Amino acid sequence: MQIIGPDSNYNFISKMGKAFKISIVLILLSLGTLAYHKGPNWGVEFTGGTEIHLKFQNPITVKDIREGLENDGFKPQSVQQFGLAGDNEYLVHFSPDVVPFERIDDFQVKMKEIITNVPIFKGGEVLRIDYIGPEVGKELIEKAIMAILLGCVGILIYIIFRFEFGYAMGAVLALLHDTIITLGAISITNKEFTLAIVAALLTVIGYSVNDTIVIFDRVRENLGKTSSKSFNTIVNEGVNQTLSRTILTALTVFIVLIPLFFLGGAVIHDFAFTLIIGVVIGTYSSIFIATAFLVYWKARERKRQQQQTQQTS
Amino acid sequence: MRRVSRGWLTVIALFTILSVILLTPTFTGGNLPGWWKKMFPTRGIRLGLDLKGGIFLQLGVRVDKALHQELNTIGETISQQLKEHKGLIKSSDIDNDVLTINFFSQGDLSKAREIADKNFDQIADIKEKQLSLEINLSNNYVEQIEKNAISQVKQIIENRVKDFGLVEPSIQRAGNKRILIQVPGASQADRERIVDLIKKSAVLEFKIVKDTAPDKETLLARHDASSEEQLEKQGLTIHPGKTGNENEKYFLTTKEAGVTGEYISDARITFDDFGRPAVGFRFRGEGATKFGELTGSNIGQRLAIVLDGIVQSAPVINDRISYQGTITGNFTTDEAKDLALVLRSGSLPVPVEVQQERTVGPSLGKDSIEKGKFSMQVGSILVIIFMILFYRFQGFIANIALTLNMLFIMGFLSAFGVTLTLPGIAGLVLTLGMAVDGNIIIFERIKEELRLNKSPWNAIDTGYARSLWTVLDANITTLITGLILFWFGTGPIKGFAATLCIGIISTVFSNVIVARIITNIFYRGKDIKSVSI
Repeated sequence: MQIIGPDSNYNFISKMGKAFKISIVLILLSLGTLAYHKGPNWGVEFTGGTEIHLKFQNPITVKDIREGLENDGFKPQSVQQFGLAGDNEYLVHFSPDVVPFERIDDFQVKMKEIITNVPIFKGGEVLRIDYIGPEVGKELIEKAIMAILLGCVGILIYIIFRFEFGYAMGAVLALLHDTIITLGAISITNKEFTLAIVAALLTVIGYSVNDTIVIFDRVRENLGKTSSKSFNTIVNEGVNQTLSRTILTALTVFIVLIPLFFLGGAVIHDFAFTLIIGVVIGTYSSIFIATAFLVYWKARERKRQQQQTQQTS
Repeated sequence: MRRVSRGWLTVIALFTILSVILLTPTFTGGNLPGWWKKMFPTRGIRLGLDLKGGIFLQLGVRVDKALHQELNTIGETISQQLKEHKGLIKSSDIDNDVLTINFFSQGDLSKAREIADKNFDQIADIKEKQLSLEINLSNNYVEQIEKNAISQVKQIIENRVKDFGLVEPSIQRAGNKRILIQVPGASQADRERIVDLIKKSAVLEFKIVKDTAPDKETLLARHDASSEEQLEKQGLTIHPGKTGNENEKYFLTTKEAGVTGEYISDARITFDDFGRPAVGFRFRGEGATKFGELTGSNIGQRLAIVLDGIVQSAPVINDRISYQGTITGNFTTDEAKDLALVLRSGSLPVPVEVQQERTVGPSLGKDSIEKGKFSMQVGSILVIIFMILFYRFQGFIANIALTLNMLFIMGFLSAFGVTLTLPGIAGLVLTLGMAVDGNIIIFERIKEELRLNKSPWNAIDTGYARSLWTVLDANITTLITGLILFWFGTGPIKGFAATLCIGIISTVFSNVIVARIITNIFYRGKDIKSVSI
């Protein structure tokens, strides 16, 4: 089976200018929405929240507790079995959006009401209510950002060593482009920025670089073969030759992500959403950011060389 | 005509067997026969709190002790400054957050009031009552002390639990006086160790031994004292001993510690002259100077190494030592390891008590876990079908390589004790997607070569050869990010990075070696006419 015929010859180079404008708009939009929302919508791991310890008389399922509380306007972040199965004890977490710190006393009264009034909770009691601090500090994010920036330097050095500076810059620009736009997508849909999302973003970075390198590798191989064609033609050929692979790989990753997105439940859903956006942007940026920068960089280099030869002659 | 490389075949077989052994405990859930437990690992993949739950500890932090310490310091400061002004304190008393100092004369009281106003006006409410001064810490300041004490305790416990292994615990402060800890999985034995690690105050003191005896009374009688308080006035104190010697159940030592563990810069497990586990430590800066003074001026005497009030060992000081030393005692290897760990993480500024220790279920809830599992299974099956549809027989080979790849990755995760969480598993499924990428790069290349009318073997050879560096470059760049994340990341980020790095290495191996070897196995000895791709 084949998706892209062997002699595909789309002219990508001619569309790079337009793509560049789209990217700029997307990046501005992403930074705009992040600024508007005052940074990411931090998940409960980063903000802390309220934890209650419940004990019931009769066996009850996690699902029942979740639904029972949600019906009364208190959507739990998580419901965790506490002790052994026969103890019928549970820890329930609420995000600060649901139970703000200032209203914890009201909440205590409310909770007691709910436990007495809702039939399935009959005979239950609230053993403890606590306002709990964050599980992970924001310094985790600071460190992660540091690591990503250092990672960029590492990638730069490796690609300069294996290719040339223009390739390296292209790959890193594409990586930053993908990270910012994926962050923007999370922010604009107002999804919670959880640890799972952090993991997804890091995966997107890996994917982005991976995808770019495959195209660069082909361009370099073709450069070694011919000298008659112009640089832009060679690049365009390289992109076309790897197009089949680029699309097939994106497709496979999609095949994995679609079931995660639709069937995976809340945590996995957001994780898959981030990756889907990341893969689309990552595939696009390999061609229209990384490769485009390479073309631009070569053109500038050529111009400089011409000027030099003119000056000397 | 091809033969199969024996060397690589052995490597693949070895990895497969190793992974199966490492994974068996995970899939049998600990129901292993006795002979297995003797020879092979019993710990499978460590599942995170979200998937499996673990133990829950509710710690009460004795913030009242922190207040007590603070008031004590205030009292001492006033007493000392008063002495400089030739004044004297009659007695002092601490009740909750109030310090009461009694005086002999109005003059002393006025002087003390002046000192107190000058130094502690900001943090306390100061009142005079007859011949005494009442210092009442302001609510703000009390809150600040409590907060500081809790954050310090939390930080130290965090370091201890994290140092214990690649576990991903959840440590949260709750209210004003409690810390809630959840540690994933943890067998009964681990459980006791972890609770021990957390509870240990780890106050290490070095004192000089004055006398030893089998019981307290003997010590008191020998030194003409009727109570321990009297000894304290002489600058001496009694510590129980754990050296194993019947005549040394109690030690009389100097009251003040010459050096404390706060100056320890590093502590590691070592072994003493008899090969028994011990803890070696190093001092930094001021600690080294103090330790040098203490040992230098007491050569020939015995040095009591006191941990949390108990004398662990009391070696004779042969020489002046400054920078490093060894704590010997009756330790098991695990105890020595844990002691080194708590000494590294520092002592708890105030004691903690375990108020509750319970088992907790997965934080995600069974319904979410089931959903997650199902979606991943669907994803994996779809990829397998996709590969066969697109690359037919070669796709089938790729699927075998992918399955082995997953097996290796899980085996390594288990070997390195990486904690697997739900996002971690989803990441693994994605690794599967990316692993397919390697195969796609190679297969697309083989197809291209075939279009140039190359012979099947020639096409396979050039296909693999030409894509080798593409696959390597693509994966090495990602590996660089992974390694840096592992280096700088903390907690969950580190876990993710470990999973990523293991995944990449195994994937490259399965792409360029395993798939190739399997191809050779199927086509060996044949002069194939066409490749099913």
